[in-house]
Amino acid sequence: MQQHKDPPVRLGSDFWIVTAVIVVLAILSIVYWAYAPIDSWMHEAVDRAAQIDLLFRFLAGTGFALAFAVLGYILYFSLKYRRRPDQDDEAIGLQIHDNHKLELWWTVIPTIFVIVLGFISVKLFLEIEPVNAAGGTHVVEALGHQWYYTFRYPGIHGEVKEMHLQVDQPVTLHVTAYDVIHSFWVPDMRLKADMVPGLVNTLVFTPKRTGRYNLVCTEFCGTFHGEMRSGTKQDAAYVYIDTPEQYQAWYSAQQRANANVSDAVAVASAGAVNLTGGDAAAGKTLFTQKCSACHAIGPFDQKIVGPGLKGVLHDPAHPSLVNGDKATPDAVAKILQNGFNGPMGTMPNQTANQLTDKDIANLVAFLDSLK
Amino acid sequence: MAVATIPHSPFAHDDPEVDLLYSETRELRVQGFLLFMVSDLVLFSSFIFAYLYLRSSGQGWPPPGGPKLDLALASINSVILFGSGATMHFALENWKHSKFMKFAGWMVATIVLGSLFLSGQVIEYAKLAVGWGDSGIFGAGFYTLTGMHGFHVFCGVIYLTVLLLQATHGTYTFKKYTGLTLGTLYWHFVDVIWVVLFSIFYLL
Amino acid sequence: MATEALHGGGGIADHIHPEPQGFIRKYVFSIDHKIIGIQYMITAGIFLILGGMLAELIRVQLMKANGGFMTPDTYNEVYSIHGSTMVWLVIIPMLTGGFGNFVFPLQIGARDVAFPWLNMLSFWIFPVAGLMVYASFLMGAPSAGWTEYPPMSLQGQAGTSMWAAAIFLVGVSSTLTGINFLVTILKMRAPGMTFTRMPLFVWGQFATAPLLMIATTALGAALAALFMQREFGVAFFDPTKGGSPLLWQHLFWFYSHPAVYIMILPAFGILSEVIPTFARKPIFGYKMIAFSSCAIAILGFMVWAHHMFTSGMAPALQLPFMVLTMTIAVPTGVKIFSWMTTLFGGVLRFTTAMLFSVGFVALFTLGGITGVWLAAVPFDLHAHGTYFIVAHFHYVLVGGSLMGIFAGLFFWFPKMTGRYLNETWGKVSFWLFFIGMNGTFLPMHVNGLGGQPRRTATYDPQFQGLNQIESIASFIMTAAILIIIINIIVSIRNGKRSGHNPWNARTLEWQIASPPPYYNFKHIPTVFHAPYDFSEPLPYRGLEHELEGTVYENESLQPAGVH
Repeated sequence: MQQHKDPPVRLGSDFWIVTAVIVVLAILSIVYWAYAPIDSWMHEAVDRAAQIDLLFRFLAGTGFALAFAVLGYILYFSLKYRRRPDQDDEAIGLQIHDNHKLELWWTVIPTIFVIVLGFISVKLFLEIEPVNAAGGTHVVEALGHQWYYTFRYPGIHGEVKEMHLQVDQPVTLHVTAYDVIHSFWVPDMRLKADMVPGLVNTLVFTPKRTGRYNLVCTEFCGTFHGEMRSGTKQDAAYVYIDTPEQYQAWYSAQQRANANVSDAVAVASAGAVNLTGGDAAAGKTLFTQKCSACHAIGPFDQKIVGPGLKGVLHDPAHPSLVNGDKATPDAVAKILQNGFNGPMGTMPNQTANQLTDKDIANLVAFLDSLK
Repeated sequence: MAVATIPHSPFAHDDPEVDLLYSETRELRVQGFLLFMVSDLVLFSSFIFAYLYLRSSGQGWPPPGGPKLDLALASINSVILFGSGATMHFALENWKHSKFMKFAGWMVATIVLGSLFLSGQVIEYAKLAVGWGDSGIFGAGFYTLTGMHGFHVFCGVIYLTVLLLQATHGTYTFKKYTGLTLGTLYWHFVDVIWVVLFSIFYLL
Repeated sequence: MATEALHGGGGIADHIHPEPQGFIRKYVFSIDHKIIGIQYMITAGIFLILGGMLAELIRVQLMKANGGFMTPDTYNEVYSIHGSTMVWLVIIPMLTGGFGNFVFPLQIGARDVAFPWLNMLSFWIFPVAGLMVYASFLMGAPSAGWTEYPPMSLQGQAGTSMWAAAIFLVGVSSTLTGINFLVTILKMRAPGMTFTRMPLFVWGQFATAPLLMIATTALGAALAALFMQREFGVAFFDPTKGGSPLLWQHLFWFYSHPAVYIMILPAFGILSEVIPTFARKPIFGYKMIAFSSCAIAILGFMVWAHHMFTSGMAPALQLPFMVLTMTIAVPTGVKIFSWMTTLFGGVLRFTTAMLFSVGFVALFTLGGITGVWLAAVPFDLHAHGTYFIVAHFHYVLVGGSLMGIFAGLFFWFPKMTGRYLNETWGKVSFWLFFIGMNGTFLPMHVNGLGGQPRRTATYDPQFQGLNQIESIASFIMTAAILIIIINIIVSIRNGKRSGHNPWNARTLEWQIASPPPYYNFKHIPTVFHAPYDFSEPLPYRGLEHELEGTVYENESLQPAGVH
């Protein structure tokens, strides 16, 4: 912008010393990340994990190198060029405006870096992309619910609660959800796919290392999103990578156990639930499985997420349900069937809770028995 | 003394009746209004994107069991709206040439045509006889977009009526008429949006 | 004088109304851009305190792996409102409505923005919308995060619709501000202020204004659709009715990725003013910094879907988004290198504003590096939805935008009030903030890659140790903000007098009295060069009479020759 020329810049020996230190640190970080024992921090349980970690080694190595460079120079300039006590307000710095060569370099080098990174990422992306990857012989479906996972296997009726895979056998995993968006993430596999209702996403990989792995939901899915991970009260399920023998044993056991289970997906029934013949004892068992995370069998004030349900149908102090209806067995059944969503609170519906009409009748009978 | 270049208004000093304040203000207002139309266009584009997205995924279009659109009625309606664009143009041109009566005539014509278009919309909605919320993606696409456009036309009819009344009461002179320019821009904008909506709903 | 002759024409610059009298017209429903700017800052500051309190509630809950401080539902509401507050009620209004309004009309030598009444409207929408966001707690606040993905947000409580309406209003306010600023910058620069002579803060606002105008409207559409879906059952997002949950993600991120740049470009602008002023040397690569802002703004519109790599988009779509996202690293890198080089060979005065600016460059670099990592789809498949993301965007928004806001606050406070903020306490607050910020967000990278998902009220006990460090560090950060707030309150009345140009800065706003008089300039100056040449005389003519009649209590601040 200015007509006059910028003053010449001379770089002192300390500049080159700092530069040398930065270069050494940068090389060290690249070497370190090239050999870092990532597998011992987090298992590389499937083939994709090692591939993605390789990309991570590149990113981390170069990223740390760049961070050392920028932070290093900022620190060095800040110390070296700070105003000294003998300099007054009028003191000015070197009046340099620009340096086209330098600016060209720091445009070109990041551009080259981005091209290299883009190339590596695209290549890896195409490899792990299900369309291109060798289709797995082993097809599994994972389904997200509020707030647990279920799995479907060819040859096993219904849905099972745990995921078992066989080591070295390629898997095609289809994921979707019943109610809201969930996510399928096994950190040790470095793979993730969102489970979107009405949409099927696919992951293809080959298990490489036997063991038990955590399964975690990473898309917010409601009250107990944080509990939608392996080993919690809401969702106890893990992902297992088995030896062929273990896998076969598990598979046959599931086949037998689920021999009489329907393949139909539990959906909300159309009419009102028939409450006659509800079994309070069966209802009690169901209650501990499905309800006790949010509701205590105690007085109204014993709140977990929802209120305590002791005497819910017989409590003159609290005559209304969450939706404002009068507390009657039929009104309770209606909420269990259709769910509720309003200013007072939320109840999942029959589909989300996986309750059959018979289950609802049993639950209502149990609630009615609490006095 | 060396003086740097001063940004000059193209209107300045051309005409003794048009002072610098007016011409600069006019520039600001026209530019601001154009930018407002750009953001309004983005609003429409977003819903058009939503419609095309829903249409291309899932159920397909028209959604199974959904109502059928009446191309003939919509075509007549379109001709009415495009006609009102032309009458609006004539109105402003006559104002520029200081012909008040002709201006008023064309303005009235524009307002009447706009109202006719709205009536046509109401007739079409009545014939479709499905609700907004219970017609699936048909409601989300067709009713939302044509409803939004209809609301713009409705506002436009009121806007033009106000402008006509203002002009009658002497708010504008034949040299200073930024408000009328903005009204014309708005009306043409509404026209152009309809071209797009008509194409994507009735022709695509 | 020549300049007077040129301005005798009676254009907008000479169209001066008398200053309004009375408290209401002067300070409440003011149309003065300076008052409106300060109103924005105070309002956004109050929301910063509220949002910060919510953040601390989050950190208290996460002290223990199984939570217990709040119910999961309350926790979900708290973090959702925390995010909404910080994005829409703090950072965006602070940087555009606040600093933008106060500073840039002064910097371009204008008497006000193009549409002062519209400006007042923009402001007054904002506190109303903010109150609506907080009022949603009464009806059951939204609980699906600031992103409110359906179908989750369709299950949300009644307050979710209220939230959608409130954010829609914030959007209207932003859009009007964007239009106003863009017209002002295009049409109302002082004579001689060509584009390459504009201060870089003005460039920041210039690149931001179209984003405000265009992107925000797309958000408005998304929110309107969400509202219609929730209240009238219109099938936009509900898959059981034929809608698509991914549609929301597209519409939302088409806004919210450019919004990231709305939140950072003005902060870049602040930095580009503070660093040369305290380095006493021209900003390095003026043109590159200015044009890279525009490049970032344009590219910002083409990368939204990188937030959706795990959502199930067609692979053919993912690739271009990945590559374009990485491309943004280039103009961003150019900026970082330029600021770094501006330090080289300077005479650096480490005032609080300068400390926050240099801290910004350092922390923003780290956030930028992790940003490039996340652009690589295969890595994102692992990191998406984890605390790594939380760490990344807090580095950019707290280490970047918020530190930029503090830098701007310490820098321009003397211009707003005529008094300094206390520098000693300012430096204390910087160091506390810097330490607390890193302590809070650095460990989150490790947590995230190790397997801790975000937005959870409880988590795997293996992460408890690092989470406790984060929580404790977050209190240090809160203490820093508390000190800044006390500093402001005390300094408004009792701060040291600063005079009109305490930092010896060269942009136009520093050449007139502090606080600037109504209508800013007695006489619109003519501009001859870009402002950053410290060895040259000021590149303005026509400012001779600006300080006449300004009387300072402290004699030493009295400008030479003016009594």
